[in-house]
Amino acid sequence: MERYSVQRAMIEFKNVHKWFGDLHVLKDINLEVAQAEVMVVCGPSGSGKSTLIRSINRLEPIQKGELVVDAMKVHDPKTNMTKLRAEIGFVFQQFNLYPHMTALQNVTLAPMKVRKIARKEADDMGRYSLEKVGLGDKLHQYPAQLSGGQQQRVAIARGLCMRPKIMLFDEPTSALDPEMINEVLEVMRNLAREGMTMIVVTHEMGFAREVSHRVAFMDFGELTEIAPPGEFFSHPKSERTKLFLSKILTH
Amino acid sequence: MLETFNFRVIFEYLPLFGSCFLATLWLSAAGLVGALVIGTLACSMRIGRHKLIAIVAAAYIESIRSTPLLVQLFFFYFGLPSLGIRLSEAATGILALALNSGAYLAEIIRAGIQSISHGQVEAAVASGLSYIQRMRHIILPQAIGVTLPPMLGQAIVLVKDSALLSLISLPELTRAGQIMTSERFMPAEGFLTSAVFYLLIYYMLKWMTAWSQKRLIYMQA
Repeated sequence: MERYSVQRAMIEFKNVHKWFGDLHVLKDINLEVAQAEVMVVCGPSGSGKSTLIRSINRLEPIQKGELVVDAMKVHDPKTNMTKLRAEIGFVFQQFNLYPHMTALQNVTLAPMKVRKIARKEADDMGRYSLEKVGLGDKLHQYPAQLSGGQQQRVAIARGLCMRPKIMLFDEPTSALDPEMINEVLEVMRNLAREGMTMIVVTHEMGFAREVSHRVAFMDFGELTEIAPPGEFFSHPKSERTKLFLSKILTH
Repeated sequence: MLETFNFRVIFEYLPLFGSCFLATLWLSAAGLVGALVIGTLACSMRIGRHKLIAIVAAAYIESIRSTPLLVQLFFFYFGLPSLGIRLSEAATGILALALNSGAYLAEIIRAGIQSISHGQVEAAVASGLSYIQRMRHIILPQAIGVTLPPMLGQAIVLVKDSALLSLISLPELTRAGQIMTSERFMPAEGFLTSAVFYLLIYYMLKWMTAWSQKRLIYMQA
Protein backbone atom coordinates (compact mmCIF):
# COMPACT_ATOMS: atom_id res chain seq x y z
CA MET A 1 0.00 0.00 0.00
CA GLU A 2 2.93 2.28 0.70
CA ARG A 3 4.23 1.82 -2.83
CA TYR A 4 0.76 2.44 -4.21
CA SER A 5 0.40 5.81 -2.45
CA VAL A 6 3.63 7.07 -3.96
CA GLN A 7 3.47 5.51 -7.40
CA ARG A 8 0.50 5.18 -9.66
CA ALA A 9 -0.55 1.60 -10.47
CA MET A 10 0.02 1.17 -14.18
CA ILE A 11 -1.55 -2.27 -14.43
CA GLU A 12 -4.17 -3.52 -12.03
CA PHE A 13 -5.82 -6.96 -12.00
CA LYS A 14 -8.81 -7.33 -9.69
CA ASN A 15 -10.30 -10.83 -9.28
CA VAL A 16 -9.61 -11.67 -12.91
CA HIS A 17 -10.76 -15.01 -14.34
CA LYS A 18 -10.41 -16.54 -17.75
CA TRP A 19 -11.53 -19.82 -19.26
CA PHE A 20 -10.63 -21.58 -22.50
CA GLY A 21 -13.81 -23.62 -22.84
CA ASP A 22 -13.88 -25.70 -19.65
CA LEU A 23 -10.29 -24.98 -18.83
CA HIS A 24 -9.92 -22.38 -16.08
CA VAL A 25 -6.64 -20.69 -17.11
CA LEU A 26 -6.65 -17.58 -14.92
CA LYS A 27 -8.03 -18.05 -11.42
CA ASP A 28 -8.84 -14.99 -9.37
CA ILE A 29 -5.77 -12.96 -10.33
CA ASN A 30 -5.02 -9.94 -8.16
CA LEU A 31 -1.96 -7.95 -9.11
CA GLU A 32 -0.75 -4.37 -9.21
CA VAL A 33 2.23 -3.26 -11.20
CA ALA A 34 3.45 0.25 -10.47
CA GLN A 35 4.83 2.71 -12.95
CA ALA A 36 8.51 2.01 -13.70
CA GLU A 37 8.28 -1.36 -11.99
CA VAL A 38 9.89 -4.41 -13.55
CA MET A 39 8.08 -7.63 -12.76
CA VAL A 40 9.20 -11.09 -13.77
CA VAL A 41 6.62 -13.86 -14.02
CA CYS A 42 7.80 -17.46 -13.94
CA GLY A 43 6.22 -20.85 -13.51
CA PRO A 44 5.79 -24.23 -15.19
CA SER A 45 4.61 -24.33 -18.80
CA GLY A 46 0.86 -24.28 -19.12
CA SER A 47 0.48 -22.39 -15.86
CA GLY A 48 -1.10 -19.37 -17.57
CA LYS A 49 1.84 -16.92 -17.63
CA SER A 50 1.43 -16.12 -21.31
CA THR A 51 -2.32 -15.76 -20.97
CA LEU A 52 -1.76 -13.39 -18.06
CA ILE A 53 0.31 -10.91 -20.04
CA ARG A 54 -1.67 -11.41 -23.25
CA SER A 55 -4.78 -10.36 -21.40
CA ILE A 56 -3.21 -6.96 -20.65
CA ASN A 57 -3.66 -5.74 -24.23
CA ARG A 58 -6.65 -8.02 -24.81
CA LEU A 59 -4.93 -10.45 -27.14
CA GLU A 60 -6.85 -12.75 -24.80
CA PRO A 61 -10.11 -11.29 -23.48
CA ILE A 62 -10.91 -11.99 -19.83
CA GLN A 63 -14.32 -13.22 -18.77
CA LYS A 64 -14.61 -12.05 -15.19
CA GLY A 65 -13.09 -9.39 -12.97
CA GLU A 66 -11.54 -5.99 -13.61
CA LEU A 67 -8.38 -5.18 -15.47
CA VAL A 68 -7.30 -1.53 -15.60
CA VAL A 69 -4.25 -0.54 -17.62
CA ASP A 70 -3.04 3.06 -17.75
CA ALA A 71 -6.42 4.14 -16.36
CA MET A 72 -8.26 2.35 -19.21
CA LYS A 73 -10.67 -0.49 -18.50
CA VAL A 74 -9.56 -3.49 -20.53
CA HIS A 75 -12.46 -5.59 -19.19
CA ASP A 76 -14.95 -3.10 -20.66
CA PRO A 77 -15.86 -4.03 -24.27
CA LYS A 78 -16.43 -0.34 -25.02
CA THR A 79 -12.81 0.62 -24.33
CA ASN A 80 -10.93 1.81 -27.41
CA MET A 81 -8.27 -0.87 -27.65
CA THR A 82 -6.37 0.83 -30.48
CA LYS A 83 -5.52 3.70 -28.16
CA LEU A 84 -4.47 1.36 -25.36
CA ARG A 85 -2.48 -0.97 -27.61
CA ALA A 86 -0.50 2.01 -28.87
CA GLU A 87 0.73 2.48 -25.28
CA ILE A 88 1.82 -1.14 -24.85
CA GLY A 89 4.77 -2.70 -26.64
CA PHE A 90 4.55 -6.48 -26.91
CA VAL A 91 7.51 -8.76 -27.62
CA PHE A 92 6.75 -12.35 -28.64
CA GLN A 93 8.77 -15.51 -28.20
CA GLN A 94 8.86 -16.04 -31.99
CA PHE A 95 9.70 -12.37 -32.82
CA ASN A 96 6.82 -12.19 -35.34
CA LEU A 97 8.45 -9.61 -37.57
CA TYR A 98 6.87 -8.78 -40.94
CA PRO A 99 9.11 -10.69 -43.37
CA HIS A 100 8.29 -8.53 -46.41
CA MET A 101 9.49 -5.36 -44.71
CA THR A 102 12.95 -4.10 -43.76
CA ALA A 103 13.88 -3.54 -40.11
CA LEU A 104 13.07 0.16 -40.48
CA GLN A 105 9.72 -0.54 -42.17
CA ASN A 106 8.88 -3.04 -39.43
CA VAL A 107 9.35 -0.46 -36.70
CA THR A 108 7.74 2.51 -38.50
CA LEU A 109 4.53 0.85 -39.74
CA ALA A 110 2.52 1.22 -36.55
CA PRO A 111 3.73 4.77 -35.73
CA MET A 112 2.62 5.89 -39.20
CA LYS A 113 -0.68 3.98 -39.32
CA VAL A 114 -1.80 4.04 -35.69
CA ARG A 115 -0.19 7.23 -34.38
CA LYS A 116 -0.56 8.91 -37.80
CA ILE A 117 2.98 10.25 -37.72
CA ALA A 118 4.46 11.52 -41.02
CA ARG A 119 6.93 9.20 -42.72
CA LYS A 120 9.94 11.46 -42.25
CA GLU A 121 9.44 11.82 -38.53
CA ALA A 122 8.58 8.13 -38.20
CA ASP A 123 11.81 7.23 -40.02
CA ASP A 124 13.78 9.38 -37.57
CA MET A 125 12.06 7.68 -34.63
CA GLY A 126 12.62 4.28 -36.22
CA ARG A 127 16.32 4.96 -36.74
CA TYR A 128 16.61 6.09 -33.12
CA SER A 129 14.82 2.98 -31.81
CA LEU A 130 16.98 0.65 -33.88
CA GLU A 131 20.15 2.45 -32.79
CA LYS A 132 19.01 2.03 -29.22
CA VAL A 133 18.92 -1.75 -29.57
CA GLY A 134 22.30 -1.70 -31.31
CA LEU A 135 21.07 -2.19 -34.86
CA GLY A 136 21.75 1.23 -36.36
CA ASP A 137 23.62 -0.47 -39.19
CA LYS A 138 20.81 -2.92 -40.06
CA LEU A 139 18.03 -0.44 -40.96
CA HIS A 140 17.50 -1.77 -44.47
CA GLN A 141 17.99 -5.48 -43.82
CA TYR A 142 15.06 -7.87 -44.06
CA PRO A 143 14.30 -10.17 -41.10
CA ALA A 144 15.58 -13.21 -42.99
CA GLN A 145 18.99 -11.52 -43.24
CA LEU A 146 19.23 -11.10 -39.46
CA SER A 147 20.17 -13.54 -36.70
CA GLY A 148 17.61 -14.59 -34.11
CA GLY A 149 19.01 -12.20 -31.52
CA GLN A 150 18.98 -9.34 -34.01
CA GLN A 151 15.40 -10.15 -35.03
CA GLN A 152 14.28 -10.10 -31.42
CA ARG A 153 15.99 -6.73 -30.94
CA VAL A 154 14.16 -5.38 -34.00
CA ALA A 155 10.95 -6.63 -32.37
CA ILE A 156 11.82 -4.72 -29.20
CA ALA A 157 12.60 -1.62 -31.27
CA ARG A 158 9.23 -2.04 -32.99
CA GLY A 159 7.58 -1.83 -29.58
CA LEU A 160 9.72 1.11 -28.46
CA CYS A 161 9.09 3.11 -31.63
CA MET A 162 5.50 3.64 -30.48
CA ARG A 163 6.89 5.41 -27.38
CA PRO A 164 4.91 3.04 -25.15
CA LYS A 165 4.31 3.38 -21.43
CA ILE A 166 4.48 -0.37 -20.88
CA MET A 167 6.56 -3.14 -22.44
CA LEU A 168 5.43 -6.76 -22.17
CA PHE A 169 7.77 -9.64 -22.95
CA ASP A 170 6.45 -13.17 -23.51
CA GLU A 171 9.46 -15.50 -23.14
CA PRO A 172 11.63 -13.23 -25.30
CA THR A 173 14.74 -15.41 -25.16
CA SER A 174 13.21 -18.90 -25.25
CA ALA A 175 13.51 -19.28 -29.03
CA LEU A 176 17.10 -18.01 -29.16
CA ASP A 177 20.38 -19.85 -29.41
CA PRO A 178 22.25 -19.56 -26.09
CA GLU A 179 24.92 -17.20 -27.43
CA MET A 180 22.28 -14.69 -28.50
CA ILE A 181 20.31 -14.53 -25.27
CA ASN A 182 22.57 -12.00 -23.63
CA GLU A 183 22.35 -9.33 -26.35
CA VAL A 184 18.57 -9.33 -25.93
CA LEU A 185 18.72 -9.32 -22.11
CA GLU A 186 21.17 -6.41 -22.27
CA VAL A 187 18.66 -4.32 -24.21
CA MET A 188 16.00 -5.21 -21.65
CA ARG A 189 18.32 -4.30 -18.76
CA ASN A 190 18.84 -0.87 -20.29
CA LEU A 191 15.12 -0.37 -20.66
CA ALA A 192 14.55 -1.28 -17.03
CA ARG A 193 17.21 1.20 -15.94
CA GLU A 194 15.47 3.95 -17.89
CA GLY A 195 12.31 3.38 -15.89
CA MET A 196 10.12 1.49 -18.36
CA THR A 197 7.20 -0.37 -16.80
CA MET A 198 7.81 -3.98 -17.74
CA ILE A 199 6.31 -7.42 -17.24
CA VAL A 200 8.61 -10.18 -18.39
CA VAL A 201 7.60 -13.82 -18.63
CA THR A 202 10.91 -15.62 -18.55
CA HIS A 203 12.93 -18.44 -17.07
CA GLU A 204 16.09 -16.30 -17.04
CA MET A 205 16.48 -16.25 -13.29
CA GLY A 206 19.73 -14.28 -13.50
CA PHE A 207 17.82 -11.48 -15.17
CA ALA A 208 15.07 -11.71 -12.55
CA ARG A 209 17.54 -11.50 -9.67
CA GLU A 210 19.49 -8.63 -11.15
CA VAL A 211 16.87 -6.41 -12.77
CA SER A 212 13.39 -7.08 -11.43
CA HIS A 213 11.68 -5.41 -8.50
CA ARG A 214 9.38 -8.35 -7.86
CA VAL A 215 9.11 -11.93 -9.05
CA ALA A 216 5.77 -13.69 -9.36
CA PHE A 217 5.26 -17.44 -9.46
CA MET A 218 2.34 -18.80 -11.38
CA ASP A 219 0.95 -22.31 -11.07
CA PHE A 220 -2.28 -23.84 -12.44
CA GLY A 221 -3.64 -20.41 -13.32
CA GLU A 222 -2.99 -18.89 -9.91
CA LEU A 223 -0.44 -16.34 -8.77
CA THR A 224 0.79 -18.28 -5.79
CA GLU A 225 3.73 -16.17 -4.72
CA ILE A 226 4.92 -12.62 -5.31
CA ALA A 227 8.05 -11.30 -3.63
CA PRO A 228 11.17 -9.18 -4.22
CA PRO A 229 13.83 -11.31 -5.93
CA GLY A 230 16.09 -11.62 -2.86
CA GLU A 231 13.29 -13.07 -0.80
CA PHE A 232 11.79 -15.06 -3.65
CA PHE A 233 14.98 -16.96 -4.36
CA SER A 234 16.30 -17.38 -0.81
CA HIS A 235 13.06 -18.09 1.04
CA PRO A 236 10.38 -19.37 -1.35
CA LYS A 237 7.24 -19.90 0.65
CA SER A 238 5.45 -22.74 -1.09
CA GLU A 239 6.69 -26.24 -1.88
CA ARG A 240 5.70 -25.82 -5.52
CA THR A 241 7.90 -22.76 -5.86
CA LYS A 242 10.81 -24.55 -4.21
CA LEU A 243 10.39 -27.53 -6.51
CA PHE A 244 10.20 -25.32 -9.59
CA LEU A 245 13.25 -23.30 -8.57
CA SER A 246 15.26 -26.42 -7.82
CA LYS A 247 14.52 -27.69 -11.32
CA ILE A 248 15.22 -24.46 -13.11
CA LEU A 249 18.28 -23.29 -11.18
CA THR A 250 20.22 -26.52 -11.60
CA HIS A 251 20.18 -26.03 -15.37
CA MET B 1 11.00 -31.37 -95.25
CA LEU B 2 10.61 -27.62 -95.38
CA GLU B 3 9.91 -27.92 -99.10
CA THR B 4 6.63 -29.61 -98.31
CA PHE B 5 5.77 -27.14 -95.53
CA ASN B 6 3.34 -24.70 -97.06
CA PHE B 7 3.70 -21.17 -95.66
CA ARG B 8 1.46 -19.71 -98.38
CA VAL B 9 -1.57 -21.59 -97.10
CA ILE B 10 -0.87 -20.36 -93.57
CA PHE B 11 -1.04 -16.77 -94.81
CA GLU B 12 -4.23 -17.62 -96.62
CA TYR B 13 -5.75 -18.90 -93.39
CA LEU B 14 -4.34 -16.11 -91.20
CA PRO B 15 -7.65 -14.20 -90.99
CA LEU B 16 -9.33 -17.36 -89.66
CA PHE B 17 -6.55 -17.87 -87.13
CA GLY B 18 -6.77 -14.20 -86.17
CA SER B 19 -10.47 -14.36 -85.34
CA CYS B 20 -10.06 -17.73 -83.61
CA PHE B 21 -7.12 -16.32 -81.61
CA LEU B 22 -9.38 -13.51 -80.40
CA ALA B 23 -12.06 -16.08 -79.53
CA THR B 24 -9.58 -18.11 -77.46
CA LEU B 25 -8.48 -14.89 -75.79
CA TRP B 26 -11.91 -13.75 -74.75
CA LEU B 27 -13.21 -17.21 -73.82
CA SER B 28 -10.14 -17.71 -71.61
CA ALA B 29 -10.32 -14.20 -70.16
CA ALA B 30 -14.01 -14.62 -69.32
CA GLY B 31 -13.25 -18.07 -67.88
CA LEU B 32 -10.40 -16.67 -65.80
CA VAL B 33 -12.44 -13.78 -64.40
CA GLY B 34 -15.21 -16.23 -63.54
CA ALA B 35 -12.66 -18.58 -61.98
CA LEU B 36 -11.22 -15.77 -59.85
CA VAL B 37 -14.67 -14.85 -58.54
CA ILE B 38 -15.66 -18.48 -57.94
CA GLY B 39 -12.25 -19.32 -56.47
CA THR B 40 -12.27 -16.41 -54.03
CA LEU B 41 -15.83 -17.22 -53.00
CA ALA B 42 -15.15 -20.94 -52.61
CA CYS B 43 -11.99 -20.22 -50.64
CA SER B 44 -13.67 -17.85 -48.21
CA MET B 45 -16.54 -20.32 -47.81
CA ARG B 46 -14.10 -23.12 -47.15
CA ILE B 47 -12.03 -21.31 -44.51
CA GLY B 48 -15.05 -19.56 -43.01
CA ARG B 49 -16.61 -20.42 -39.67
CA HIS B 50 -19.87 -21.87 -40.97
CA LYS B 51 -19.51 -25.68 -41.03
CA LEU B 52 -22.21 -26.50 -43.60
CA ILE B 53 -21.04 -23.85 -46.06
CA ALA B 54 -17.47 -25.10 -45.67
CA ILE B 55 -18.60 -28.64 -46.51
CA VAL B 56 -20.44 -27.44 -49.63
CA ALA B 57 -17.33 -25.57 -50.81
CA ALA B 58 -15.09 -28.56 -50.08
CA ALA B 59 -17.44 -30.87 -52.00
CA TYR B 60 -17.34 -28.54 -55.02
CA ILE B 61 -13.54 -28.30 -54.95
CA GLU B 62 -13.06 -32.04 -54.50
CA SER B 63 -15.51 -33.12 -57.20
CA ILE B 64 -14.05 -30.74 -59.79
CA ARG B 65 -10.48 -31.69 -59.03
CA SER B 66 -11.17 -35.40 -59.16
CA THR B 67 -12.98 -35.52 -62.54
CA PRO B 68 -11.75 -34.78 -66.08
CA LEU B 69 -12.54 -31.38 -67.55
CA LEU B 70 -13.78 -33.13 -70.71
CA VAL B 71 -16.41 -34.98 -68.68
CA GLN B 72 -17.46 -31.74 -67.00
CA LEU B 73 -17.66 -29.99 -70.38
CA PHE B 74 -19.76 -32.76 -71.92
CA PHE B 75 -22.01 -32.76 -68.86
CA PHE B 76 -22.70 -29.04 -69.31
CA TYR B 77 -23.01 -29.33 -73.11
CA PHE B 78 -25.08 -32.51 -73.44
CA GLY B 79 -26.33 -33.07 -69.89
CA LEU B 80 -27.74 -29.67 -68.98
CA PRO B 81 -30.01 -29.37 -72.07
CA SER B 82 -31.43 -32.81 -71.29
CA LEU B 83 -32.30 -31.41 -67.85
CA GLY B 84 -33.99 -28.48 -69.53
CA ILE B 85 -31.23 -25.88 -69.08
CA ARG B 86 -30.18 -24.40 -72.40
CA LEU B 87 -27.05 -22.27 -72.70
CA SER B 88 -25.21 -21.00 -75.77
CA GLU B 89 -22.01 -22.85 -76.71
CA ALA B 90 -19.85 -19.92 -75.59
CA ALA B 91 -21.67 -19.70 -72.24
CA THR B 92 -21.29 -23.44 -71.74
CA GLY B 93 -17.59 -23.25 -72.52
CA ILE B 94 -16.95 -20.32 -70.20
CA LEU B 95 -18.98 -21.95 -67.43
CA ALA B 96 -16.96 -25.15 -67.70
CA LEU B 97 -13.62 -23.33 -67.70
CA ALA B 98 -14.60 -21.01 -64.82
CA LEU B 99 -15.98 -23.79 -62.60
CA ASN B 100 -12.98 -25.99 -63.33
CA SER B 101 -10.23 -23.42 -62.73
CA GLY B 102 -12.19 -21.88 -59.83
CA ALA B 103 -11.68 -25.05 -57.81
CA TYR B 104 -7.92 -24.94 -58.36
CA LEU B 105 -7.71 -21.21 -57.66
CA ALA B 106 -9.64 -21.67 -54.41
CA GLU B 107 -6.88 -23.97 -53.17
CA ILE B 108 -4.13 -21.62 -54.40
CA ILE B 109 -5.70 -18.64 -52.59
CA ARG B 110 -6.20 -20.70 -49.45
CA ALA B 111 -2.55 -21.73 -49.46
CA GLY B 112 -1.54 -18.08 -49.93
CA ILE B 113 -3.55 -16.83 -46.97
CA GLN B 114 -2.53 -19.72 -44.74
CA SER B 115 1.14 -19.21 -45.58
CA ILE B 116 1.10 -16.04 -43.48
CA SER B 117 1.98 -16.95 -39.93
CA HIS B 118 -0.61 -16.15 -37.30
CA GLY B 119 2.13 -14.59 -35.18
CA GLN B 120 2.59 -11.70 -37.59
CA VAL B 121 -1.11 -10.96 -37.51
CA GLU B 122 -1.00 -11.05 -33.73
CA ALA B 123 1.96 -8.66 -33.67
CA ALA B 124 -0.01 -6.29 -35.89
CA VAL B 125 -3.04 -6.53 -33.58
CA ALA B 126 -0.83 -5.86 -30.56
CA SER B 127 0.54 -2.69 -32.11
CA GLY B 128 -2.97 -1.36 -32.71
CA LEU B 129 -3.38 -1.91 -36.47
CA SER B 130 -7.01 -2.31 -37.56
CA TYR B 131 -8.37 -5.27 -39.56
CA ILE B 132 -8.22 -3.29 -42.81
CA GLN B 133 -4.70 -2.05 -42.10
CA ARG B 134 -3.58 -5.60 -41.33
CA MET B 135 -5.08 -6.85 -44.59
CA ARG B 136 -3.60 -3.99 -46.60
CA HIS B 137 -0.08 -3.92 -45.14
CA ILE B 138 0.58 -7.41 -43.78
CA ILE B 139 -1.64 -10.11 -45.26
CA LEU B 140 -2.46 -9.15 -48.85
CA PRO B 141 1.00 -8.00 -50.01
CA GLN B 142 2.42 -11.31 -48.88
CA ALA B 143 -0.53 -13.46 -50.00
CA ILE B 144 -0.57 -11.93 -53.49
CA GLY B 145 3.20 -12.23 -53.77
CA VAL B 146 2.98 -15.90 -52.80
CA THR B 147 0.01 -16.75 -55.03
CA LEU B 148 0.90 -14.88 -58.24
CA PRO B 149 3.23 -17.55 -59.68
CA PRO B 150 0.83 -20.49 -59.09
CA MET B 151 -2.04 -18.31 -60.35
CA LEU B 152 -0.10 -17.66 -63.55
CA GLY B 153 0.39 -21.41 -63.82
CA GLN B 154 -3.35 -21.98 -63.48
CA ALA B 155 -4.12 -19.25 -66.02
CA ILE B 156 -1.83 -20.97 -68.54
CA VAL B 157 -3.52 -24.32 -67.84
CA LEU B 158 -6.88 -22.65 -68.41
CA VAL B 159 -5.81 -21.26 -71.79
CA LYS B 160 -4.54 -24.67 -72.87
CA ASP B 161 -7.69 -26.36 -71.56
CA SER B 162 -9.77 -24.01 -73.69
CA ALA B 163 -8.62 -26.18 -76.62
CA LEU B 164 -11.23 -28.69 -75.44
CA LEU B 165 -13.92 -26.17 -76.39
CA SER B 166 -13.17 -27.12 -80.03
CA LEU B 167 -15.10 -30.31 -79.19
CA ILE B 168 -18.30 -28.33 -78.69
CA SER B 169 -17.62 -26.65 -82.06
CA LEU B 170 -16.60 -23.24 -80.73
CA PRO B 171 -14.43 -21.50 -83.33
CA GLU B 172 -11.25 -21.13 -81.30
CA LEU B 173 -7.55 -21.76 -82.04
CA THR B 174 -7.56 -25.55 -82.01
CA ARG B 175 -10.72 -25.55 -84.11
CA ALA B 176 -8.96 -23.31 -86.64
CA GLY B 177 -6.24 -25.94 -87.02
CA GLN B 178 -8.91 -28.60 -87.49
CA ILE B 179 -10.71 -26.53 -90.13
CA MET B 180 -7.49 -25.98 -92.07
CA THR B 181 -6.68 -29.66 -91.81
CA SER B 182 -10.06 -30.81 -93.05
CA GLU B 183 -10.26 -28.29 -95.90
CA ARG B 184 -6.68 -28.58 -97.24
CA PHE B 185 -5.35 -31.62 -95.40
CA MET B 186 -2.41 -29.74 -93.92
CA PRO B 187 -2.28 -30.89 -90.29
CA ALA B 188 1.35 -29.87 -89.76
CA GLU B 189 0.79 -26.29 -90.89
CA GLY B 190 -2.60 -26.04 -89.20
CA PHE B 191 -1.75 -27.27 -85.71
CA LEU B 192 1.69 -25.66 -85.66
CA THR B 193 0.04 -22.32 -86.35
CA SER B 194 -2.39 -22.96 -83.50
CA ALA B 195 0.56 -23.78 -81.25
CA VAL B 196 2.38 -20.55 -82.14
CA PHE B 197 -0.67 -18.52 -81.16
CA TYR B 198 -0.92 -20.39 -77.82
CA LEU B 199 2.73 -19.57 -77.25
CA LEU B 200 1.91 -15.91 -77.89
CA ILE B 201 -0.77 -15.98 -75.19
CA TYR B 202 1.65 -17.66 -72.81
CA TYR B 203 4.15 -14.83 -73.23
CA MET B 204 1.43 -12.22 -72.77
CA LEU B 205 0.43 -13.80 -69.45
CA LYS B 206 4.03 -14.06 -68.34
CA TRP B 207 4.64 -10.40 -69.14
CA MET B 208 1.48 -9.36 -67.27
CA THR B 209 2.59 -11.30 -64.19
CA ALA B 210 6.05 -9.73 -64.23
CA TRP B 211 4.46 -6.29 -64.59
CA SER B 212 2.04 -6.82 -61.71
CA GLN B 213 4.79 -8.18 -59.48
CA LYS B 214 6.80 -5.03 -60.11
CA ARG B 215 3.79 -2.89 -59.23
CA LEU B 216 3.34 -4.93 -56.06
CA ILE B 217 6.84 -4.02 -54.96
CA TYR B 218 6.07 -0.34 -55.51
CA MET B 219 2.89 -0.73 -53.47
CA GLN B 220 4.82 -2.07 -50.51
CA ALA B 221 7.44 0.68 -50.62
